[in-house]
Amino acid sequence: MFCTQCGANNADSAAVCVQCGRNLQPGTPLVPLQTTAVALPPGTTVQNYLVFAILATVFCCLPAGIPAIIYAAQVNGKLQAGDLAGAQVASNNAKMWCLISLGLGLGIVALYAMMIMLGILSGFHQH
Amino acid sequence: MVEISKNRRLVATLAAFAAGVVMLAVFDPARSGVFPPCPVRYFTGWYCPGCGSLRAIHQLLRGNLRAAWALNPLTMILLPFLTYGLASSALFEIRGQGLPQPFLRAFWIRALGAAIILFGIARNLPLYPFDLLAPGTWLHW
Repeated sequence: MFCTQCGANNADSAAVCVQCGRNLQPGTPLVPLQTTAVALPPGTTVQNYLVFAILATVFCCLPAGIPAIIYAAQVNGKLQAGDLAGAQVASNNAKMWCLISLGLGLGIVALYAMMIMLGILSGFHQH
Repeated sequence: MVEISKNRRLVATLAAFAAGVVMLAVFDPARSGVFPPCPVRYFTGWYCPGCGSLRAIHQLLRGNLRAAWALNPLTMILLPFLTYGLASSALFEIRGQGLPQPFLRAFWIRALGAAIILFGIARNLPLYPFDLLAPGTWLHW
């Protein structure tokens, strides 16, 4: 089928356009009905949180950022295969790992601030 | 009610981000001790793919492109895209529509993840030319 937005040729099962990301299935039940498919309004796509996954990896916590990137890839992979429900699950996982990373980051900042303050306080003590 | 708390969260997030950028411009993470060290480096002694990124952005904000590149080339390459993505997310929260973004195929996202990990490994190798990727080495070369 051809994308209504950019005209790119897509596989008939594709959930989103491979070129512009436009949702190609406005509520059509190509996804099996027994799955918990989310009906996306046309023109939207499932969020993959890739930007936040990379930010988490590079600025905060490598161990939490890498799973986020892997799930981000999975979101788009499932979208390519036409599996909207699977993409939504992967999207939730990507979001979860980004939030874990954010929590770890804030925890590290708080811990560091506490250590600095204790250090300054004990420094005052010596003088 | 919901709308107000959502707006507040958005304003708080944007304010925190702006404050972070200003702090990063004012204080040098290499010397000031305002910013925490990289936890990966702190606990393992190895450079992670992001080591040097705060120092790099500090140098970038001060206009020192060479120093910024030497501290973390990966961050410098990714930064324009990350900035665009963040701006898109912010706009999406504000007006309900982000900026146009291409659909990345899963393969390319995995390749990007692999590239980040390989960069992280390479910058720990003590041989030329990989050692140039360690934070700051490029400046003394």
